[in-house]
Amino acid sequence: MRFVLFVAAMLLALPVHAPLSAQGVQQTKGSFEDKFRQLDEVLPDANTYRTASGAPGHAYWQQKVDYKITAELDETRRRLTARATVRYTNNSPDALPWLWMQLDQNIFKKDSMAELTDAFGGAGRRGPKVQLGAGAEPTKLSMEELRRQQAMADNVYGYDIGAVKTLAGADLSHTIVGTLMRVDLPEPLAPGATTEFTIEWAFNIVEEDAINARSGYENFPDDPKKGGNDIFLLAQWFPRMVVYSDYEGWHNKEFLGRGEFTLEFGDYEVAMTVPGDHVVASTGVLQNPDAVLTAAQRQRLETAKTAAAPVMIVTQAEAAAAEAGSPKGTKTWKFNAANVRDFAWASSRKFMWDAQGVKQPGAENETVLAMSFWPKEGGELWRKYSTASVVHTLKVYSRFSFDYPYPTAQSVNGPVGGMEYPMITFNGPRTNLNKDGSRTYSLASKMGLVGVVIHEVGHIYFPMTVNSDERQWTWMDEGLNSFLDSVAGYEWDPEMPWTRSVPRDLVSYMISNDQQPIMTQSDSITNLGSNAYGKPAAALHLLRDTIIGRERFDFAFKEYARRWKFKRPTPADFFRTMEEASGTDLDWFWRGWFYTTDHVDIALDSIYRLKVDSKNPDIDLPRRRRERDEEPDLVGVGLNKQQGLPIWVLENPGVTDFYDKNDEFTVTPKDRKGYTDFLEGLQSWERAAFDRAVREDANYYVLNFTNKGGLVMPIILGLTFKDGSTEKLKIPAEIWRRNAKEVAKLLVYPKGKELVQVMVDPDWETGDADLENNHYPRRIIPSRIEAFKDEASKSRTSRDLMGEAAGAEPDKKKK
Amino acid sequence: MLLRRLLLALALVLAPLAGITAALAHQQKIAISTVSLNPRNGMIEIAHQVPVHDAEHALRVQGIASPDIISSAKSREDFAGYVTRRFLFEVNGKLADPAYVGSEIIGGSLWVYQEVPAPAPAPGQGARIALRFDSQILTDVWARQENRVNIGGGTHPETFIFKAGDAPREAVLTRQPPEL
Repeated sequence: MRFVLFVAAMLLALPVHAPLSAQGVQQTKGSFEDKFRQLDEVLPDANTYRTASGAPGHAYWQQKVDYKITAELDETRRRLTARATVRYTNNSPDALPWLWMQLDQNIFKKDSMAELTDAFGGAGRRGPKVQLGAGAEPTKLSMEELRRQQAMADNVYGYDIGAVKTLAGADLSHTIVGTLMRVDLPEPLAPGATTEFTIEWAFNIVEEDAINARSGYENFPDDPKKGGNDIFLLAQWFPRMVVYSDYEGWHNKEFLGRGEFTLEFGDYEVAMTVPGDHVVASTGVLQNPDAVLTAAQRQRLETAKTAAAPVMIVTQAEAAAAEAGSPKGTKTWKFNAANVRDFAWASSRKFMWDAQGVKQPGAENETVLAMSFWPKEGGELWRKYSTASVVHTLKVYSRFSFDYPYPTAQSVNGPVGGMEYPMITFNGPRTNLNKDGSRTYSLASKMGLVGVVIHEVGHIYFPMTVNSDERQWTWMDEGLNSFLDSVAGYEWDPEMPWTRSVPRDLVSYMISNDQQPIMTQSDSITNLGSNAYGKPAAALHLLRDTIIGRERFDFAFKEYARRWKFKRPTPADFFRTMEEASGTDLDWFWRGWFYTTDHVDIALDSIYRLKVDSKNPDIDLPRRRRERDEEPDLVGVGLNKQQGLPIWVLENPGVTDFYDKNDEFTVTPKDRKGYTDFLEGLQSWERAAFDRAVREDANYYVLNFTNKGGLVMPIILGLTFKDGSTEKLKIPAEIWRRNAKEVAKLLVYPKGKELVQVMVDPDWETGDADLENNHYPRRIIPSRIEAFKDEASKSRTSRDLMGEAAGAEPDKKKK
Repeated sequence: MLLRRLLLALALVLAPLAGITAALAHQQKIAISTVSLNPRNGMIEIAHQVPVHDAEHALRVQGIASPDIISSAKSREDFAGYVTRRFLFEVNGKLADPAYVGSEIIGGSLWVYQEVPAPAPAPGQGARIALRFDSQILTDVWARQENRVNIGGGTHPETFIFKAGDAPREAVLTRQPPEL
């Protein structure tokens, strides 16, 4: 009984601070902060296009854009010339007086907004370096910066837009605004109507290693052919229609380089004319293999469809011959792609090519060709692990979403570190060339290749199929995809150091006092990697493994993917679907992790142990006597003893009375009567409860917690008992509802089961930033450096045996 | 000489867009350094957290042909040496040269550790240690590198963000009595 009052008093006495400022609602007395306030004031209202449960509404619509493109690659001038017929279908309920196109190549113009703002202010501001006294590195400009400057000075980049015409040949008025272009229509395009127009363009292809784009060419000067050979990666290579959506109208946000894209779905027919000895990898399905592949290659491709391991389509010997030879004329490769939101391709005579069929029984594409294209510089690393990683990605991601929705899934090596397009991805890791001509690679490169292929192929699901808007909400594809790529990584090999996306990896970022909420537009974020990849991925791991549980999380996540496959979700659609499909109110979680910059730090401040008083003086008073006897003696009395000071009662043994034989815990008849009166005063149910509590004599513990980090989280307790047993207990986050700063929790254990030690978040699953205050009793937590000094480096991964064992010496000058 | 300086200045203006964050888990272009005072041993401890891939790539850019951050202690130490050169640090107005303690890989991060004894409390300074610092780790490799320096241990540090060419910043580290 006493303990109940105690707990109640604790709850009432809790101090609170921090103001509340939600829209329209103000805490005008006190400082209660509702961390569980529903998000409906923040999320957009549901409508006929998007329901309140996060699904596409009954009137959901999106535009459709089909392209027929012919392109010629001028290898010598590294220039692409192309023309397209664009067919735009207006499925919106609105008449459109004009259409907007994205001219991404214009970001490389010297007067682009990206160039100018990057040079003169804002997130990418540059300036002369300042030295901080002697002994520091001398100020210097990086070679990379010099190379870029020279490339920008020597070349004219950006689109040359030629004619924009109606099918009948009439000029269409068009206005270029940076990386955007408005095409005025002769008359507004009515709802449900379709229009077609033609456009011609050309541009100089940037040198990727110099300019650092998402596409471009890379030269290999050491190849046997004079001048070397190139790999061309073509992406953002055609004027692409800007999205027109139900929630934003035209998405005409300037391309600043960081926020990627969202686009409209449509069908593509593309013909690219390239040097006759090139191999082309592309979004879509090759339409004219007879014209571009040898009979042997076509046969191998057929074999690959049912093969259990990758089959070489273009062998190392064939690639080596092409690399050393001279181009003979040109060939036109034709690819068709249905229902894709973008189109990219790669072309080089350096490519080897392998393929393996992935079976998806019952799916729209029952056989998917997983394929890789790489130059000799990719070496064994690529032969062994690229296509294998593609296959692994399809298996894991399809389990979390839907069958892979396209007939091909490709990984292409080139100068781009990692970038995704429908059916095709560009991935960077390679081998190192040694002086003896051998090629080896580090474990990090291997992990890098497997990891990047998983990540980029994963993007074919998110956002290439679940079409979220990366320019506005980077986390919607990068966060979800980083979460899934780490799931796939652990399923590839749990021993590899994949992590970058579980809560414990994010602590030093999340405690920083200069950061942005995840729900911030990509171009305004510092450290996009931590903000839009790592933190949301950590949040999803936490939801899956700690808060919702795997079964319901996976069900809800799959439902989100299924609902928005080939459609355009917003954050609200994700939040709402995850809630509704898992049956969990998660508004507190989205609010904390996505709308604030709080971190997790729950402290266990104290534990009180309570016993039930039996009220029986013959039991309680001797117990209290024992408790007092366990208290330490007064220090002064002990010192008196040491000094041999005389004690009066000892020196006067003849003078005694009642109090010499009885202490204050002596039971009197009055005490016993009081006990009898107490028992008689109880109602029968009270008496039953009381008797049972006394009989059981359980251990009661009140644990006092404070929330120092701000994020409300489940309180996970690792409990250790005197008998050596342990238990894990999870208290849902809702314990913080009425007070998000301090809470107390009563735990009851049977007689004999005594709690000796408690740790909050014993498995480090929430990213709790301060472990010291997680322990009760407290213990000294060594600093990172102290801990490091105590043990040798934890990395037990083996050395670079490949190169070292062979005694190979790296060749520093060649790729 | 003047011409050369002009060229370099020009390059700084024109050399912006490099280092677009490709949609990739690969180069995160971040280094987080935590500077804290260890009350148990009186050392100022500096822990730099750098993504493994960034570190390996940086070594390659510097002309080391076969870096192996995960497996090779030599590569890790090469990189750690680089990190300590790019992290400039003054204590109470004097250039400090924190000792390199070691490095290790935890998860996807390379951690590089340094330490330097905290100065004896000076009259009038109380518990305050004046720091001046500049984290230029990897800013010479990627224009888009953005570094964080968290000053103070625990969970409420003061954060400073550095980009290429940023000037040093100042902060105060407060001595606290050991809690135990």
